[in-house]
Amino acid sequence: MKKLRIIAIIFLLSIWSMAGCSNKENVSDNIQTQEQESNKITDMAGNEINLKKTPEKMVVLLPSDVEILYELGADKSIIGVGEYCNYPKEALNKKIIATGDDLNVEQIISLNPDVVVIGEMAQSTDQMKQLKDAGILVAVTNSQNIADTYKAIKLLGQISGKEKEADDLIANMKDSFQELEKKSKGNFEKTIYFEVSPLEFGLWTAGKDTFMQELADMLKVKNIFEDLPGWAEISEEQVLERNPDFIVTTTMSNKDSSPVDEILARNNWENIEAISKKQVFKGDSDMMTRPGPRLVDAAKELYKFIYGE
Amino acid sequence: MNSNKKSPSILEINGLTVKMAGFTLVDQVTFNIREREKFIIVGPNGAGKSTIIKAISQSIPYSGEILYKGEDVAKMQKNQIARNIGVLAQHHSVNYSFTVEEIVELGRFSYRKDKLMIKEEKEIIQEALEMTGMIEKRKQSVLTLSGGEIQRTFLAQLFAQNPNILILDEPTNYLDIQYQEQMFRVIEEWITSKNKAVLAVVHDLSLASYFGSEFLLMNQGKAVSRGRKEEVMIPEQLNLVYEMNVGSWLHYLYKHWEKYL
Amino acid sequence: MKIKAVFLTRFFFISMCLILIMNICVVYGSVDINLWDTGRIVFGAITGKFPSDIPERFIPIVLGVRLPRVLMSGLVGASLSISGAAMQGLLKNPLADGTTIGVSSGASLGAVIAIAFSAKSTLVSGLGTFLMSILFSFASICLILFLAKIIDFTLSTNTVILIGVIYSMFASSITSLITTLADKEIKNIVFWSMGSIAGSTYEEVVLMTVILIICSFVLMRNGVELNAFAIGEENAMHVGVDVRRVKLRIMALVSILIGVSVSISGTIGFVGLVIPHITRIFTGPNHKKLLPISMAIGAGFLMLADMFCRTMFSPIELPIGIITSFIGSILFVFIMIRKNSNKFRG
Repeated sequence: MKKLRIIAIIFLLSIWSMAGCSNKENVSDNIQTQEQESNKITDMAGNEINLKKTPEKMVVLLPSDVEILYELGADKSIIGVGEYCNYPKEALNKKIIATGDDLNVEQIISLNPDVVVIGEMAQSTDQMKQLKDAGILVAVTNSQNIADTYKAIKLLGQISGKEKEADDLIANMKDSFQELEKKSKGNFEKTIYFEVSPLEFGLWTAGKDTFMQELADMLKVKNIFEDLPGWAEISEEQVLERNPDFIVTTTMSNKDSSPVDEILARNNWENIEAISKKQVFKGDSDMMTRPGPRLVDAAKELYKFIYGE
Repeated sequence: MNSNKKSPSILEINGLTVKMAGFTLVDQVTFNIREREKFIIVGPNGAGKSTIIKAISQSIPYSGEILYKGEDVAKMQKNQIARNIGVLAQHHSVNYSFTVEEIVELGRFSYRKDKLMIKEEKEIIQEALEMTGMIEKRKQSVLTLSGGEIQRTFLAQLFAQNPNILILDEPTNYLDIQYQEQMFRVIEEWITSKNKAVLAVVHDLSLASYFGSEFLLMNQGKAVSRGRKEEVMIPEQLNLVYEMNVGSWLHYLYKHWEKYL
Repeated sequence: MKIKAVFLTRFFFISMCLILIMNICVVYGSVDINLWDTGRIVFGAITGKFPSDIPERFIPIVLGVRLPRVLMSGLVGASLSISGAAMQGLLKNPLADGTTIGVSSGASLGAVIAIAFSAKSTLVSGLGTFLMSILFSFASICLILFLAKIIDFTLSTNTVILIGVIYSMFASSITSLITTLADKEIKNIVFWSMGSIAGSTYEEVVLMTVILIICSFVLMRNGVELNAFAIGEENAMHVGVDVRRVKLRIMALVSILIGVSVSISGTIGFVGLVIPHITRIFTGPNHKKLLPISMAIGAGFLMLADMFCRTMFSPIELPIGIITSFIGSILFVFIMIRKNSNKFRG
């Protein structure tokens, strides 16, 4: 019986550890970036970065930051990128580094970069400390919304010495968004549902505090799950009950049919407005979730889908 | 060996050899058991006594012949084997709280296609429980029983199984002195009243010589001698096998051997 | 005759309980539909005419989404529980269960391979998630028992569990490897592996019902053999059980049930482990009673657990594995404490 008890305890521990392993440390609120005259720059975690010169060797871990730096034309100084950085395609030619919980600190140190750009949500404070202790400059970005994205662009512009390009990019993005918002004729009467995981695996959607929510707001349609925080698994019957006019899926096809066809053919969904009017659209998941310049493309695509222009 | 001529042989073992991982555990052992015989295998640890029992119950591979009334046991159906050859294991550990009765009922497993009347089945189980003295504890969980009571429960299962030859592997392992004798008396009564036979591996030489009618003395997988008590259980034979002077002290030394063997 | 009457009353009582639980689970859902309307919708499905004052969208919610899901959770609960009970008997091991001896992980690996390579290999997509899960769960049982036998011939409780846990890690690591290396379309597997009964269809319900009826029928026919195994494999052999054949048969049935359950709902932990333990408190260890009652209790338990998943934080759903592991682990500790204290008393 004693052995039995020990096994039971091992069991409980293993389950508890499984539940705990997805926790990420959430550090302090991001402090406003301050305009700096000299080479003193403050990153989005509020830390000062002492850059002696424009860095020649950068390691960038977040896909969105890579996209921004490429857009700014600072790609030559990037020597390593995080494992999920798949856009633009050329980024795949750089050294690829494991990120997240498995962050390869050794590999980063061995590349001897002038600066490492990392995402606050993706890496733990311990990992950042390890890098700093090894004498490597660490710049932190943390974009939760479009406004944050501008800050990230500004910061990366400062670091890479492309401040003018950064200002231009921000102005461009703002213009595009404003134009789309102005063009959007809706008044939040039409509703939209974002599907992140298909029915087969349990429905997941994007609620408030997501880029999808911001895009919906911009285009003046109502996200049917705007009452939920972040990403959430939701009941199928809620989708039927809330009856969206538009459906956007970011899932990939894994069967013979495309995700759009799969949604259109779902049992019991035939009475949903979006299904009966065939208003189902396959969105690019990267484009719609990465805080980078491609958010503009995502917004344009969505606009086209909703207003048909 | 003139008594053997009276009754037909039940179990015949011819040239039984068991090899495992390069070791020969049993080497060319031959003997047979007739009705009403109480056949005892004795010998020191590692002599291959329990291995013979495992071979007879078909749980390990062997070469040679094991014949039940002339039929090759290896080719018999499982329930036919169980009806004729019953085995009482040396050690029982039960994890779930089955009742004594539920365990004894399992002894009837090999008969369930016979469609006996429920009443008849109940009588057989009743009798088995009475013979082993477990009748009062029939509804009790085996988890609450002592080692000896568990052993008696499985003996009752064996009686319910009603085989023609009982095979017992150190049946008195968990029993106090008074129960050891009692258990053998129950077994003896059962086999003589029903014309059955018993093959037992017994550690205790005094108990063995008290109870047995035929003996097989083994050492290191080989049969050393075979025959009646006067032929086998004598100091000249035993001293040779046990490598100490046991024959003359037969009744006292059991406890000592426990330490030395 | 008396025995038959007692049996019938019990059967009737248990069926009524299950139907009651089923009704509760159909009435309570993420979307509020009152008892009266739900009743009329279900009644309407039988007569073919729905009352006009019920909002049209409620009909597919009750009949198309909720009802098949409730039925499916009952079926999966019953399958996992009867397989757990059968395995605990077969291995004489009160800790055996699809999750503890690694069969579920093996089944998930099969399902993940089927999903990941369905686009690339016609053979694999032909076999489908269903068959791949069954195949892998059966191969897993065989491999685990084979390894356990090499290490410890007696197949003792601790060896089997130890190897099961190790095998479980091994299978999970391959699963993670596949999900990491495969395109990101497979990321959805992460959600699925947490367990979800969402999206069940009537076709799946019918298929699952047929499989469950056949498998549970054969398992129950082997109730006496399972009793013999639960007392000890050696003893089973001595009383005349064809040990090898029966073992293979039961392992095959259990892997079909676990494989199908995993392919439909992902890994749902603790149900197969805890439900037979709870059932034994009422029935004792005799598999003739243990198997059917486990099935009933398991069905009821999972229907209710799924209902909590759907309603507790509505409109958010919880992965059902979280609920079952949470309730299951607490119940399990409680059972063990109770068992041990009984031992001390006498």
